[in-house]
Amino acid sequence: MDLQGPSTHLGSTAARFPRRSGARCGPLRFVLLARLLGAAAASLMVANAGAEAVADAPARPLLLATTTSVQESGLLDALLPEFTRTEGFVVRVIAVGSGAAIEMARKGDVDVVLAHSPAAEEALVRDDIAARRTPLMENYFVLAGPPEDPAEVAQAESPEAAMGRIFARKAAFVSRADRSGTHVKEQSLFEAAGVDPAARWPGRVETGSGMGGSLLVAGEKRAYILSDIGTFLAFRDRIGLVVLSKPAPSLRNVYSILPLDPSRFERPLESEGAAALERYLASPAVQRRIRDFGRDRFGESLFSPLRLPPEGGQ
Amino acid sequence: MPVAEILEISLRTLRVCGVALLIALALGVPTGIVLGTRRFPGRGLLVTSVNAGMGAPPVVVGLLVALLLWRSGPFGGLGWMYSANAMIAAQVLIALPLVVGITLAAVGAVGDEWHLQIRTLGVPRRWRVWLLVREIRMGLLAAVIAALGGILSEVGAVQMVGGNLAGETRVLSTAILMSTSMGDFDRALGLAAVLIGLTLVLSGLLTAVQQGGRP
Repeated sequence: MDLQGPSTHLGSTAARFPRRSGARCGPLRFVLLARLLGAAAASLMVANAGAEAVADAPARPLLLATTTSVQESGLLDALLPEFTRTEGFVVRVIAVGSGAAIEMARKGDVDVVLAHSPAAEEALVRDDIAARRTPLMENYFVLAGPPEDPAEVAQAESPEAAMGRIFARKAAFVSRADRSGTHVKEQSLFEAAGVDPAARWPGRVETGSGMGGSLLVAGEKRAYILSDIGTFLAFRDRIGLVVLSKPAPSLRNVYSILPLDPSRFERPLESEGAAALERYLASPAVQRRIRDFGRDRFGESLFSPLRLPPEGGQ
Repeated sequence: MPVAEILEISLRTLRVCGVALLIALALGVPTGIVLGTRRFPGRGLLVTSVNAGMGAPPVVVGLLVALLLWRSGPFGGLGWMYSANAMIAAQVLIALPLVVGITLAAVGAVGDEWHLQIRTLGVPRRWRVWLLVREIRMGLLAAVIAALGGILSEVGAVQMVGGNLAGETRVLSTAILMSTSMGDFDRALGLAAVLIGLTLVLSGLLTAVQQGGRP
């Protein structure tokens, strides 16, 4: 009894095969389609993530849009757990470029913004989107590059002159090109040097990515790049670039918190939580923690607090 | 957003994915056929790793390629990091297990009867492989659809090894990610429409070929 054996079903197998193969392909295509639709849906959902988080969470969630440089520094991870414990708000941090953070604020997708793009922030206050702008801390942008310094920017008398040298020598340069606060600063420095910020040359690349990713690109390409000091210190050992600029007024980088004005939006905002976060971050105890943040890891502070009263006899 | 830029990004996407697909097919189909028709020591291990590779997270593949291609890595001397070549390398690694695995499954479905029949008919050895390819063409098209769909929409690995550089390594998926993080949702939606349209047209074409070829 070997009816299933090979010799008895020669013809029918060949005829059966295509149908079986078709049936196997069907679900596969389905999976692919589902995956594609999923990817599309995911990109759409980013814009709505804020609204959903509010509906789902049991505690009182507070939506904070901030810049990647703040998030990547680890400062918020160090400060926010205590805020949640003492004030009872769970802070959902949405880390994007300053441009996107401000865009989200204009749509009322978040409750409060922590950014470093002063002109755009002042426009938010002027347009009555934000209730007020409270500067919290500052540091300096740095112009980093390979230690060989082919464009000799270390000898430049100002950051603007350094950017001018990079353009004049057509040196390798990595631009964020993502409308972040750092990108805005990069453009204003080029402009101040008399260089069209949109000028292209073969060594200039645009990443359109966050600070960390752009620093990795600059490290590989041995290129100059403008960075916030915090992210640069975190990546310094990995990329082998060095700081070539000296602190200058034009490299000042001020981070401010902007609670939104709830009367501007139909959707209720967590304005109480936003004000609580503003108070908390500006409080002397937290300002001192901001001052000390990063000393253990990098040997220097990443941020200088702006709301700390001068301490005489400490 | 400028149409010229969308066109440029779309053409680059098609070029990079097309090259990666061709390489994955050239390597994967013969491998799948050999794995499906020959018995040799270590075959079980290879089949297991192919099946595992079909579910490998692309972002991990990207990390591995990045570790190999970074200046400090073993292939840093090639200077491929943040270039189209790096993206093609990552996409080949993502697509290859899919191509091998689906080819293998298609060969396995042919069954001993078919091989016996071919041998009984006295088909010369060198023609048998072509008859086999003809027999499994449905499965091969499924492999093409799976591989192309997988690499067209993949974003983690190509962002990691390509860097989304304007005019060099920016493809549709990374441009969508970038536009979204820039808060430029209109541009993100426009690019997403192009990507979905492209995927639908390509898989529609391939499906038409596949269903048209059905005996």
